[in-house]
Formats: sequence, structure tokens, C-alpha cells
Amino acid sequence: MFVGLLLVAQSLLVWLTLDFENNRAQETVDGVAAAVVVDLKQALRRDQQNLQALLWNQPSPQEWRHDASALLRNRRQLLRIERRDMQMAITDAVDSPFQQPVFGKIPRDDIDLEADLACAAAKRQAGPAYSRTYFVPMPGSMGGQEVIDLCMPVVNEGRAEGFMVSTLSLPRLLDEVVPTDVMRAHELSFVEGDGTRLARAGVPRGAGVFKSERLVDLPGLTLQLRVDSSSGRPQLIPNLTTALVLGLSLALGAVVVLLARDVRRRAKAESALAESLAFRKAMEDSLVTGLRARDLQGRITYVNPAFCEMVGFPASELIGQIVPSYWPPEKVAEYLERQAVRMAGKSPPREGYETLFMRRDGERFPVMIYEAQLVDGTGTHTGWMSATLDLSAQRKVEEMSRQQQERLQATARLATVGEMASLLSHELNQPLAAIASYAVGSLNLMNDPSEDALPLVRQAAQRIAEQAERAGRVIKSVHDFVRRREQAHEPVRTDHLIDSVLPLVRLQARKSGARIEVDLPSPVPRVVCDRTMLEQVMLNLTRNGIQSMESVTPLERRELLIRVRQTHPRWVTFSIVDHGPGVDPEVASRLFTPFFTTRTEGMGLGLSLCRTVIEQHGGVLDFQNLQGEDGRPGGAEFRFTLAAEPQHGPMHPSRSRTLTDSST
Amino acid sequence: MTLHASPPLGLPMVYLVDDEDVVRDALAWLLRSRRLLSEGFASAEAFESMLDIHLPPGRDDPANASWPAAPSCLLLDVRMPGTSGLVLFDRLIERGLLPLMPVIFLTGHGDVPTAVAAVKRGAYDFVEKPFSDNALVDRVERALAASGDAIGRQRARHNVQRRLAELTDREREVMHCVIDGRPNKLIADVLNISVRTVEVHRARVFEKMDVKSAVELANVLRQIQ
Repeated sequence: MFVGLLLVAQSLLVWLTLDFENNRAQETVDGVAAAVVVDLKQALRRDQQNLQALLWNQPSPQEWRHDASALLRNRRQLLRIERRDMQMAITDAVDSPFQQPVFGKIPRDDIDLEADLACAAAKRQAGPAYSRTYFVPMPGSMGGQEVIDLCMPVVNEGRAEGFMVSTLSLPRLLDEVVPTDVMRAHELSFVEGDGTRLARAGVPRGAGVFKSERLVDLPGLTLQLRVDSSSGRPQLIPNLTTALVLGLSLALGAVVVLLARDVRRRAKAESALAESLAFRKAMEDSLVTGLRARDLQGRITYVNPAFCEMVGFPASELIGQIVPSYWPPEKVAEYLERQAVRMAGKSPPREGYETLFMRRDGERFPVMIYEAQLVDGTGTHTGWMSATLDLSAQRKVEEMSRQQQERLQATARLATVGEMASLLSHELNQPLAAIASYAVGSLNLMNDPSEDALPLVRQAAQRIAEQAERAGRVIKSVHDFVRRREQAHEPVRTDHLIDSVLPLVRLQARKSGARIEVDLPSPVPRVVCDRTMLEQVMLNLTRNGIQSMESVTPLERRELLIRVRQTHPRWVTFSIVDHGPGVDPEVASRLFTPFFTTRTEGMGLGLSLCRTVIEQHGGVLDFQNLQGEDGRPGGAEFRFTLAAEPQHGPMHPSRSRTLTDSST
Repeated sequence: MTLHASPPLGLPMVYLVDDEDVVRDALAWLLRSRRLLSEGFASAEAFESMLDIHLPPGRDDPANASWPAAPSCLLLDVRMPGTSGLVLFDRLIERGLLPLMPVIFLTGHGDVPTAVAAVKRGAYDFVEKPFSDNALVDRVERALAASGDAIGRQRARHNVQRRLAELTDREREVMHCVIDGRPNKLIADVLNISVRTVEVHRARVFEKMDVKSAVELANVLRQIQ
């Protein structure tokens, strides 16, 4: 294709060069022809003028002959000058000295026809006129030549006296007029319309390739000049060489350009590849999702940094393993079986599956795995790629949100109490305000004893009664509410009671780095209580305990103990023991006073509310400071008692347990 | 001053806006026992539609309105369903009713800071529920007196403005010169008129403004500044 194009281009180039040279040669010939025509015309005009000069001032025959001889000597193309009278009879004649007289072989009279015609035309035009060409045989070797006659009327004082006829030789005209360098390279000739050559000059024969023909217009005569260059067709070989060299260098240039472009494209593709590789690497490194690739034998071929971080093993250790280090040893058999199923070509579930991995430190953690076939560039199945998500963080978040939810509920329960107080005060305010208004109004009326005061006062008293009853109804509804809560007392297992507050307590403990210990007797006693209220009491007391140790107690002693003991067949005692600084004796006396608090953000209602609740349940809430082993304050113990569930037969056996919660 | 006194003010009126029927009734009853007329509205919207009848919105400049014609005050509950007392209070300020109709807020449990803020913004007073009742009526009476004063001042101002409008330009020029304390001769020079003409204008200004002396004239004009 390319070579073809090149060939075509080459041929075109050669052809164009040839064509150009042809054109140039032709143009040269054309130029030469035009120049020669101009020279010819100029020479003829000069001859004409010289001839005219012969007749100037009516020269005497001697003077005319003398001048004519001089002219003939000067202008070689002039062969003969003759004067004639009106009847065309020759009165005088002078012949060129350079050759034998023209009409030596054939008398002038025999070939006078052309001169006659020219003179007739000259007479008609009253100016010089040329005759047609005619051949005059010449003596000697020359054989003869084509000549033309120029006839000029001789006018003396406005009267025609006769004619002057001069004979011009066409070959000599060419010889005289055409410059030598033109003659060297061209053949010049006068031709007739049918191609007959009349006269010629220059190189003996033109190449016949580059020719140009021009007309030479003269009064009464039109001559056709043909110029034939001696140079032939331009040569192909030198042109071909030039063209070949040119073409080859062009082709070379094209190849270089193509090569450069290709190199550039390659470089671009390479850098794009490198970029996309770097991009992929960055993507894999930035992923929090672990990526793992395995071949068809189950051998690990690739893990990304997130995966290594997740399981705690370096990539170098993992790659190549068939039983990876992160499989918990007890699960290896199960996982191998699952892998065998996978290798058998069963696709894993698209929605992923959950499994258990092990960190380097032996901690098991749940992960979610999404697995997909790994297909290489040629479409062959080469292994499995899986995305692994660490679920432990998610689990933690779920746990957190659950705890948050529980805390919210607890707060909501506390908030209800405050809201009820506000509602109650509003409900009571209205009737009380009305009662006050009516009463004061009545008093006003009584102080102003007019005649119609009494019915008005009666009306007021009536309305006071109505409003008082309304207030009473409000109070009764509160009472009903309290009674309903009392009816809500139910037997509750103490461990269940503690379990329901433990998440919240642990949350609090985690924040301040404390541990919670629960000490339950066996069998686990049951208490009769309003569970919600008791939960509030437990939360209050444990929170106080944890906060008392915060930043005061060394971390290893920061421990809160929740202990339950059946101290009496009818009583169960709960103890919340902290290792804080204990209760300040100054504070102790006011500890249960409402709105007393040692904390800036506290309301001062916690402990007083706790005591109220416990007392409503028929129990007692008190506290004592403990002594440490070294005699220093060893913390405080808050105790409250609750009624145990009346015994119905034997207690069902309960396991004893001691829960230890390490949360740091 | 008796010469330009307004027609006597009407009977004082206490407006009660509270969503509690009982409270409204009891208050009306209490006020009646102290011989005060009252009108109750169960909501801010009801009160506003009454206002719209007396003071059609967009009719004329509220500062020049002829309502309330009698001393009046408003006992307004802070907390109500629908438009709250505070919102209604803002609308009264917008209507320019505030000095004419003092507002006493009735506050329930926990609204005291709100009420204090309202007083700072121009409310007359606030009373906490359940109210100490005759004290409340005493405050209402003081508010009514303040309202009467405000209405009187507003009337006097209108009066002076009306009289001023009746003056011709030349009379107004003369009047300003008189207030500046210039003698007639000087006024004649300044305004390029004869002393006699100044005297005539001066007499007509006094007549139209219904005053006896230049001092009195200055006092009257000070009211509208």
C-alpha cells in the first residue's frame, strides 16, 4: 500500500519534472520565435526607411545610383533596387555587389508579375507594399532563392512619377537579422501554409520536438516563421535519479515521523498503564475492605494491606498458604470442606457469607466475605477474589447503639417524673387561681354592702365549690396513679434486676475505667418491687459509686461491687460498694436532703428519690464508710433492703455465679 | 388647658385573653366586684378579630387612630394553644397600641423568665398564677390610669396637629418667630412686613392655636415633638 503510493508519487514526480522541462523548452522556443519576429520586422522597417531615404530631395540619377549602391553594400539582404516609370518600365537598376545579379539567369521581365501586383497595391495605398514570395533561379551552385519585392511609389510634388522596386532575399534576411547564438541552437525558416520551406537559416536541422511558428505581417505579404529548437526530448535518466533520491529521502522522513509517533504512543500507553497501576495500588491500599485472592488450589496469591491489618499477619507470610494462619484451628476442617466445595465450581452466595477469622493474638472476630470468580485477560478462571469486611467494629457499633437506646429509655423514664410534676402544677393552678379570684371578689363585695351583693356572693361560693372539687379530682387521679404503680409490684429475681441495669452500668464503668463485680448468693433470692423504680435506684447508686472513684482511686482498685444477700427470711439486702474516698462526714448529714448535691451538674434529687422509692417499698436505704486495710478510707457502701418474695414451698435451685467484667 | 380638653374618655375596659374559661370567668367576676368592666376572649385570634373591627388593618396610621377611646388594659395569658400571648404582644406593638393599652401578662409555672423579657420589651407588668387577687386588680387600675394618660396625651397631640394644619404659611412663619422669642418689630424686619401685619398674624395664631401667650404656645407645641 505504502510502496504503491510511493511509486505513484515517484512517477508523478518524474512526469511533473519532464513536463516542466518540456514546458520550459517550449517556452524558450516561443520566446526565440517572438524575438526573431520582432527583429525581422525591425530590419524590414529599417530597410524601408533607408529605401525611402534614397528618394529624398529628388536626387539626380547619378546621386540615386550612388546612394543605392551604398545602401546595397550596407544591407546584404537587399539584392537589387530599380526605378520604374508609371508604365512599370525599368528606368534604372542597381544590383547588390555581394553576389551575381539576381536576374542574371532569367530576365527580369519574365518574372515581373509579383512586382507589378505589389506596385498596383502600392499605388492604391499610396505607400510601400510587399509582393508575394517567388523563387528566382540563380546561376552557380546556389541554385536560386526565394525573394520578395518591395514596391514604393515615387511621388514628386504630389504627383506620382513612378515606382522604386527593391528585391529582398529571404535567406539573407534571416542570416542578417537572426542573432548568432539563436542560430546555433535553432533552425529558422520561412514556410508556407502547406509546410513548404521558403528559406532557412541556423542549424541544418531542428530536432522537430520544440517548434514554434509565428506570423510576420507586412503590408501586402504575410510570412510564416518557424523556429525549430535543436534540443530534443528531455532525458529521463537524470530526472529519475533526482526523483529517486528525493523520493527515498521523503520515504525515510515519513518512516522517521511514523516511528517517532509510534514511540510517543507507546510511551503514553506505558505511562497510562503505570498510572492505572499506581491508581489500583492506591485504591487497594486505601480500602478498609480486606482483599484476598486465591488460585484454584486454594493457595493465597494476593492480600491487600487492609486484609493484613485485619488479621495481623504480614502479606509475605500469608501468600502461598493453603491453610492460612488466620483460620481458627478449631474451624480448619470446616473451612477446608467449604473450600473444596468452592473448588468444585460452586459459586458462593452473592450476598456474601459470614465466617470467623482469627487475629495474630488469637482473638476470633466475625467477618463478612463476598467472593467472586477471578478471570484473567483470556477469560480463563484462575481463582477466587474475595472482599472481607471486619464485622467486629460493626458489632461494637450495634452494641453501642443498643446501649444508647437503653440509656435513652432510662432517661425517658426519669423525664416522665419531671413532666408529671409540671402537668400536675398546671392542672392544680387553674382551679386554685379561680378559687382565689372568687374568694377575693366575694370579700370585696362584702366590704361594699350594696343591695345586690348577696346573690353574687352566693354565685361565687357555688363556683368556689366547683373548682375545689375539680382540684380534688386532680389530686385523686394522682393518687390513683401512685396506687396503680404499687399494684405493679411483682416478684423479680434479683439477678434479672441486676442484669437489666448492667449494660448501662458497664457503659458508665468503661468510660471511667472501672470494673464491675456482681456477687449473688445461691439460691438467687426474689424480691417484690416495682421493677422500673428499682432499676432507677440501682442506676443512681452505681453511678454515684463509679463517679466517686473516678480520677481519685488508682486504676487497679477502681472496682465496684454489687452484692446481694438474703439477710432475713423476709428481707433481701443489696449493697453497692465502691473504693472511692467515702462520704465526707459534713456531707453525710444532708446526703438524702432533696436538692442537695456535691456535683455541679447534679439536681440533688438522686439519693432523696432513691430513699423515697425504697421507703415506698417498705425498705430502708442507708450507707456506711468502709475502712481500708491500712486504716485509710476504703470507700462507701450503700445498702438498701427489699421485701423478699414470700416462700411458697422449696426454692428452685439456682446456680451461684460471680460475674467478672473487665472492660478496659 | 381646659380650653382644649377633649371630649371625656369613656368607661375603662379590661380585656381578658385566656384559654381557660374558669380563669376568665373568675377574673371577670373579681373585676366586677371592684366595679370594673371586662370582656373575655378565649384566644388571641378572637381578640385580634375584635381589634380588626375597631382598627381595620391598613386603614390609617395607627398613631392617629381614634381607638381605644376609653382607658383600657389587657390581661394576657402567656401560654395558650394557637397564637401564644407573646406573639399577640408582638402584634400589638406592631399596631402601635402599646402605650394606649397596657399589657399585663398572666404567667403559669415556669414562665417567669419569659414574662420578664416581655416586660423589658414594653409590657406593663406580669402576674404569676395563682394570683394574689386584689393586688392584681390594683395593678389593673394603675394600668388603666396609665392608659387614660396615654390616650389623653395622644388626643392633645392630635388636637395641636389639627390646629397647626389650619395655619397659613405666613402665620406659621410668624409663629416660629414668636416661639423663638423675637419682638414684633424684629419679626416685621425679618419677614419684610409691617409691624401692624405682624400683630394681626400673631393674634390669629394665638386664636387658632387657642392659647393666650407665647409661653403657652411653646408648651403646646412641645407636646407634639
